[in-house]
Amino acid sequence: MEDFVDGVTNGNVSQVKTVLASVVLALAAYQVALMAVAYGKLRVPFLKPKAATFTHRAVGDAAVAVGVFVAFLCYSYFGIGDGIEHARGEETGRATIHVVSGSLFVVAVVAKVVVVRWWRSLGRFLPALGLTMFSLFSVAWLTSAGNYLWGG
Amino acid sequence: MGRVNVATAPSHRAQLIGSLVAAVLIVAIAVTAVTLAIGPGLDATELRERQELQEERQEQREERREEREG
Repeated sequence: MEDFVDGVTNGNVSQVKTVLASVVLALAAYQVALMAVAYGKLRVPFLKPKAATFTHRAVGDAAVAVGVFVAFLCYSYFGIGDGIEHARGEETGRATIHVVSGSLFVVAVVAKVVVVRWWRSLGRFLPALGLTMFSLFSVAWLTSAGNYLWGG
Repeated sequence: MGRVNVATAPSHRAQLIGSLVAAVLIVAIAVTAVTLAIGPGLDATELRERQELQEERQEQREERREEREG
């Protein structure tokens, strides 16, 4: 599996992960803004709630697909235990936070899809779930891509 | 007969296209900004050369150690 990931990324696994995760983070921020419009919390003259909701779903599908690919790269190349072990010393805390927030993000994505598709009676929790997803992904990004870009 | 000017939102289709184009622009900006921040990566040839060099050095170290011990 590591050879496959190396081949797909041309040996630049961390760099590709950083770019893709940053794209997902930027889209996630856009998603929050779109839902603020959809729920009427933010009123703009050029976008109505119905269009904002449609775009939120379309962009969300694409962002989740990219996010799942990033998770696949991360898990197949670094693993969970190996990732933390690899980042020994001062980096252990950061790696642990990354693994925990990333795993919880995947759980939150699954929960949101279940609520949207099958468990609509819990629809009132969707804003909280969405903000939880955004927060968890932000933490996962800060402790990996953000650290790679600014932490050295 | 005065005409009343009412500010209207773009059509639904225009809103959809506009918001999706905005998403594409966000992706383009994110990719460009992060790629510029990262800088050029290694290509496959450079990686292979680096790996071969490391293996060669490792072999030399082992040979020297064996010579000292022998």
